[in-house]
Amino acid sequence: MEPIIHIKDVHKYFGRVQALRGVSLDINKGEVVVIIGPSGSGKSTLLRCINRLEEFDHGQIIVDNIPLDSAENINLVRTEVGMVFQQFNLFPHLSVLDNLTLAQKAVRKRSKKEAEEIAFQLLKKVGIPEKANVFPLQLSGGQQQRVAIARALAMNPKIMLFDEPTSALDPEMIQEVLDVMLDLAKEGMTMVVVSHEMGFARAAANRAILMDEGLIVEEATPDILFTNPTQERTKLFLSKILD
Amino acid sequence: MEHLQTSPTLKPGETFEQQKKKFDRWWFLVFGVILLIIILVFLEPDPYQRIVLFVSDGIGVTVYTTLVSFVLVLIFGLIGGLGRLSKNRIINGLATVYVEVVRGIPLLVQLLFWYFAFPSVIKNFGSTLGIESLANYRADPLLMAILGLTFCYSAYMSEVYRAGIQSISRGQMEAARSLGMSYVQAMRFVILPQALRVILPPVGNEFITLLKDSSLVSVVAVADMTRRGREFMAANFIPVQTWLMIALLYLVLTLVSARIVNWIEKKTRLER
Repeated sequence: MEPIIHIKDVHKYFGRVQALRGVSLDINKGEVVVIIGPSGSGKSTLLRCINRLEEFDHGQIIVDNIPLDSAENINLVRTEVGMVFQQFNLFPHLSVLDNLTLAQKAVRKRSKKEAEEIAFQLLKKVGIPEKANVFPLQLSGGQQQRVAIARALAMNPKIMLFDEPTSALDPEMIQEVLDVMLDLAKEGMTMVVVSHEMGFARAAANRAILMDEGLIVEEATPDILFTNPTQERTKLFLSKILD
Repeated sequence: MEHLQTSPTLKPGETFEQQKKKFDRWWFLVFGVILLIIILVFLEPDPYQRIVLFVSDGIGVTVYTTLVSFVLVLIFGLIGGLGRLSKNRIINGLATVYVEVVRGIPLLVQLLFWYFAFPSVIKNFGSTLGIESLANYRADPLLMAILGLTFCYSAYMSEVYRAGIQSISRGQMEAARSLGMSYVQAMRFVILPQALRVILPPVGNEFITLLKDSSLVSVVAVADMTRRGREFMAANFIPVQTWLMIALLYLVLTLVSARIVNWIEKKTRLER
């Protein structure tokens, strides 16, 4: 089977700093992949290259058989790939409902009625249907992140990217977001998750990947990677975050 | 160009809803100045009523010139501001040169250029090339004045737009683009609605400054309030009363504008 995300030898520079030094990775449809690694290891950069929020300097990324080579294709890929950010990035001037319907109307060309029906279904799914007419900044962090997930899902993406989705949350709100992500994984969504949430990785991920200095260091099932890694670098990193 | 500190600020324990409904007390200042004008006109009809009647058409010209220029400034300033933010070197360079050159030349000199020099250039151009219509070109004073004001203020306004757009976090653009929106859609639906709220106070400030600077068009044959005042003074030799009344009339216009800006600011404030 063709992988739904095909990453081949991707290099990326920020000025003189090399953020990615030749990363190759294939992700199959329905797979959940968790990427861990120290800050500056390039894991977020890799994620952002998948929907071209970051341009890369060398290599190839093919998403759902669409190569990321023209502006037209990039927009096409972006409609198929949902993204959830650490800082939520909800649109603060729009109500929760409008946050969910804006891109549906503008990009998917859905009618207002259709877009709102989908939005309400998704708000129910993430557990906050009563917040449709509230503005984002009146919500808690956990609620905002759940709205952000719903907003991405409203575009019917085939792939969901999560860039440290729980890192900006108070500890007691992390689980409500992870629960939504777990449900999504159970439904068979293809997910690439940059996160250090071991519990989530063990429960949902097919593969865990450790990145360091712009390279993939080790790649295994979460159980093996977290308890029995082969690489010294992985052991060192895990000993630090498990403290 | 400092911003008058009469914009809405929250008192401790006050909600935005309460503040939105609260009467803006600075209107009393506006009413005070209007009352002063009325008193002068009724108690001393000669000369004050005569002055007001004489310059009344000039009030219309001042308001018209300012409003038309400002609408154009809002449009061209946005184009300039987006140009300043463009990653395309040519567009960015053009926008930057425009802003730097225009704000380095006094507005009065620019207005004189547009009224006297520009038509002359067109005429020479026309007669050299033998184009009849250009050789006989005659500049309409009001049109040239509006052109001059727009050209100059658009440069200032593009800097205001640029700062406003830059103040919106990059994540907003990224979120919009990651949902598949084009750059234009993201600007229109996500970035600009937020940026406009941020820049409302400086935009209001630009409007009021433009209103006052529109008095400069009086030197390029536009019969605005200031020019009509000069004409009245020349005929009647009463400078104190004339310029007192002109000053009061400008003050009413600027104070009313400030209150309207303040009102819009309160209306569009985001709930947080």
